[in-house]
Amino acid sequence: MGALSILIFLPLFAALLILALPSSLKGSYRYIALVFTLAQLALSLYMYQQFDPTLGGINSISGYQFVEQIPWIRLDLGQLGKLEIDYFVGIDGVSLPLIVLSSFVMLMSIGASWHVEKSVKGYFALLMVLNMAVMGIFAALDFFLFYVFYEVMLLPLYFLIGIWGGARREYAAMKFFIYTLLGSVLMLLVIVGLYFSVVNPASGAHTFNILLMMNPSNYVDGSFFGFLGNYHEVFGVPARLVGFIVLFFAFAIKVPIVPLHTWLPDAHVEAPTPVSIILAGILLKIGGYGIIRVCYSIFPDIAADTNWWLALIGVLSIVYGALNALAQKDLKRMIAYSSVSHMGFVLLGIASLTAEGLSGAMFQMVSHGFLSAALFFLVGVLYDRVHDRYIYNFRGLANIMPTYTAYVAIAFFASLGLPGFSAFIGEAFVIIGAFNAEAMLTGVPRWMAVGGSVGILLSAAYFLWTLQRMFFGQTRLQGGEKWRLALTDLDTREKIVLLPALALALVLGIVPSLIFDNLNASVIQLLDTIKPYL
Amino acid sequence: MNISPIVASLLVVVLPFSAFVIQAILGRRSVSGNVALMAISLSSILSAGCVFFVVWTGEATLERITWFTIGTKSFSVGILLNKLTVFMQLLVCIIALPVHLYSRAYMKGDDGLHRYWMYLSLFCFAMLGLTISINLLQLYIFWELVGFASYLLIGFWFTRDAAVQANKKAFLINRIGDLGFLIGIALLYAQVGTLDLVELFGKSGFFSTETAVHDSLQLLDKNSAWITCAGLAFLLGAMAKSAQFPLHVWLPDAMEGPTSVSSLIHAATMVAAGIFLLCTVFPLFNETVLLVITGIGTITAFSAAIFALGQYDIKKILAFSTISQLGFMMVGVGIGAWDTAMLHLATHAFFKCLLFLCAGAVIHEMSHVKAHTNLTFDPQDLRNMGGLRHYMPKTFLCMLIGALALSGFPLTAGYLSKDSIVVTAFEWAASHGGSYFIIPAALILVSVLTAFYIGRLVFKTFFGSFSFREHIAAGKPSLHEPPSMMLWPMLFLAACSLFPLFGVQPLAYQQTWIIRGFHVEVDYPAQHAAHLFIPLGLTIGAIVAWTVGWQWYVKQKYPLRVDNSWVQWANRQGYLNELNDTLFVKGTLKLSDLLYAFDRYVVDGLTKLVTWVTQRIAVFAYWVDKHIVDGLVNLSANTTYYIGHLARHVQNGQLQGYMGFALTAVILGILYLIIK
Repeated sequence: MGALSILIFLPLFAALLILALPSSLKGSYRYIALVFTLAQLALSLYMYQQFDPTLGGINSISGYQFVEQIPWIRLDLGQLGKLEIDYFVGIDGVSLPLIVLSSFVMLMSIGASWHVEKSVKGYFALLMVLNMAVMGIFAALDFFLFYVFYEVMLLPLYFLIGIWGGARREYAAMKFFIYTLLGSVLMLLVIVGLYFSVVNPASGAHTFNILLMMNPSNYVDGSFFGFLGNYHEVFGVPARLVGFIVLFFAFAIKVPIVPLHTWLPDAHVEAPTPVSIILAGILLKIGGYGIIRVCYSIFPDIAADTNWWLALIGVLSIVYGALNALAQKDLKRMIAYSSVSHMGFVLLGIASLTAEGLSGAMFQMVSHGFLSAALFFLVGVLYDRVHDRYIYNFRGLANIMPTYTAYVAIAFFASLGLPGFSAFIGEAFVIIGAFNAEAMLTGVPRWMAVGGSVGILLSAAYFLWTLQRMFFGQTRLQGGEKWRLALTDLDTREKIVLLPALALALVLGIVPSLIFDNLNASVIQLLDTIKPYL
Repeated sequence: MNISPIVASLLVVVLPFSAFVIQAILGRRSVSGNVALMAISLSSILSAGCVFFVVWTGEATLERITWFTIGTKSFSVGILLNKLTVFMQLLVCIIALPVHLYSRAYMKGDDGLHRYWMYLSLFCFAMLGLTISINLLQLYIFWELVGFASYLLIGFWFTRDAAVQANKKAFLINRIGDLGFLIGIALLYAQVGTLDLVELFGKSGFFSTETAVHDSLQLLDKNSAWITCAGLAFLLGAMAKSAQFPLHVWLPDAMEGPTSVSSLIHAATMVAAGIFLLCTVFPLFNETVLLVITGIGTITAFSAAIFALGQYDIKKILAFSTISQLGFMMVGVGIGAWDTAMLHLATHAFFKCLLFLCAGAVIHEMSHVKAHTNLTFDPQDLRNMGGLRHYMPKTFLCMLIGALALSGFPLTAGYLSKDSIVVTAFEWAASHGGSYFIIPAALILVSVLTAFYIGRLVFKTFFGSFSFREHIAAGKPSLHEPPSMMLWPMLFLAACSLFPLFGVQPLAYQQTWIIRGFHVEVDYPAQHAAHLFIPLGLTIGAIVAWTVGWQWYVKQKYPLRVDNSWVQWANRQGYLNELNDTLFVKGTLKLSDLLYAFDRYVVDGLTKLVTWVTQRIAVFAYWVDKHIVDGLVNLSANTTYYIGHLARHVQNGQLQGYMGFALTAVILGILYLIIK
């Protein structure tokens, strides 16, 4: 078993251990989760350290690292050929930062779960299963395996929101589940279509291998998704375009893009803090990752044709999300909408099809990962104390919670893209890349870049307005003296959870090469794959 | 000391940063400000001794390291030391040092003093880093950090609503400019492929033949659209930071910060960063952009001077005066003589900082009176002052020097720099001819207005009789000179506001070392007569303005009614804030509310609609299932049952019955055979 498999299945082992231990030991569950997640983080950092930045990955198996390929399901289907499903995992420059990010955010989430009291055993077991699933998604290179992990991820999330959530938790959980399921069911159709279109040149059998799907020469002539001489149409739309759109739809729900985003504010608001952290920190990244790994790599020809529309959706999400955030009166909902806006940058950067834009998008994903996690944690701090998040119910918190205010201010300024913090690098390079797109002739016009930059202005507006309304001025609380007593400053546990995230935002903002160095080869490789079709 | 200028300039930047970190760690334990003061003192010494004099008289030098690589392109950070950058760095240090000293007395006893020193050090770090950045991206980073530090300092008294409104406004308006800057960077990068200032413009800040811009300009026309767009984008950045019309609205509000902060950040250094940026990227500007810069500068200079006339708050007058003077500098850049802009930037830094510190001293003492007498009045309002020269003669002297310099009286530094801009603007207009003369004419008018409003400030503050005289005469003499810790920085700046610092010739700006050092060539001929008549005219105009002011405010021959609508209009800044508020702020909020409603009822409504439709279909399907599908099943079952039910009677268990049936069957069989 290789390092990558250990990384994926460590949490599963933890989940089994938690389930096996009797409830009398329930105080130990959180420690088990903590120890295993720490081990996972250590392992992912080891992999980061061992990673060879010169290898590109994307569509060449030799460019992947920590690869494991074991035949998993082999079934003779008679006339249909042989079913060939592998346990096939590996990482390249695109998945590496997201894997490290995931283990980091998971750790934050465990830290935020420290005081969970409702059915602790189930809670931590589900959290660990979820952990396994997301790691699997980022590592899987076999589409079937990818799909399995993708579906496994849904289940624990549904229960985590539905059982441990807020007042309207069932509604939110259901909405989240059905939205995501809708995407993944449609994805399954395309997966099957791809399966029958692609042949493994080594064995002659159809295959689910994602990397083989990226090579045009592996497609059967005249097959449904075939590259050349493909006249298949669905309602008059070329088959490959349909395949791309369906896959994009599935991942776009996760990102989320406007107008498929409405599950997100509901899910965030109703989810408990640790699950919000995972949702914003990891789950949304699966969308961006899927677009790069699956949509753009398997359908480079369509990617080159459609990037104008994707960029438009990106800009729309940025501005629309930011304006909606400005209208919010619930702090958590505001941050949820800000996620929509910030993830729009990811889409714009990817669609720009320039090295700067793509790198900026990846950077933005990582940066948004732990910054949004920190933001949701900060909301949780307030909610834990007074069970209220309504912005106008608080005023002048800086007077009674100075340390908390300082942390919030740092997180807000980091999120609004203050230079020196990571979000700045991500957003600035998405904008620069989008501007560069016209010079590179990728078809994204400059007005979209300008439109995207409006989002930077608006993000400053809603964050600063919130700071002004909630934290500055004379102290005035809805709950009066009772709240004033309840609103104690950050305790040590909370500082321990927050400090690394904010420190990381600072470190990455000052030394962005920590991410870019491992990313460059993959970005160039991806662009080389798409360039012939531009 | 034998340190290379690069290392020394790096230290200049790093020292305030370490001060910031130390203060941040110490927190409330460090309120004396010694750390910050020590850092800025060392920075000043290093900047003067090891950087400025070496580079100004010698060669431009640079040092850079690769920061990160994206794709195949590398971005570097580093230090560029040419005349412009070292000059700016030294200026920031020299202004920051007295302000630090002054702050020790001015801010004494404030509850958040530890934050004050921390923020001040952060500001110095960002501003000093800005001056010597080699890469536009690096410059942008410091540019925003400067804005961030300014945000913190404006909102220093965060329990005051006005202060937190003001810092939000300042940051947001600066953000608009930042977007311009960012777009400019992105355009430049997309077209030229580099952001390195040396690669773009050459080491000394001018075009040299092997630079990237030069190459691409050879291929492209300098009048091509993107160059114009990039130029305008950079201009937008500079307009926000340097408070140019209509983005100037944040600066008057920024006066909510401590006065010492206003003097350093919102008068002398940060607001000058926009001018500095324009000088840095000057080679990029084509005729169109330069004309826009000139126009904006003139509009700003004029409108701000008008607004300054109607203010009663002593700091607001100075704030508008700053805006107006920054407009002069803009014009200097716009007419291609950016050396005059830098000269005015330098002289203005000294005398405007001085004016603010004097104002701070006045406010300081007025607040003392207020505290002692338990009266409620606004210690910053001119109408509550008067006759203060009797109590604070040294402050009066300093303020007078500052005011004379601002008005451009001979022998002051302001005379040199203001004349340099106005005269050059005249020469520029003469070469273009016609309507271009509006610019120098407007500048001359603004100069006279400037003399008038600053004269008004001095007269209203220091002459006449003090409004609360009886209150202080009765009690202890609570109105006196500020402590010497505040006085010495003022005296220092007053000395710097006179001509000797800039050149031995008191009346010839061409002879100042700054103009000679930058040595900017303009492409229009000198008008020798202008060098005589314009300064003379300006001086006469200023004297007339002061005389009128004397008549109005000291001799009490004020001709206008108190509620004169023009004065009201100027006082309310032309109702610009109200306009912005209704148009942009409320508009955006309306839009966001509208979009949120759209999101809830339309976008999410669609989701809900789909859910509802699905549920209805499900109900219908269930109805079909229950009544039709299952109905058919039940129908067949019931039919079968009924038939069975009918047949059931046959099996009644009675022998007679069976016999009867058998007989019937036999008879029917026989009948069948017969018929057949």
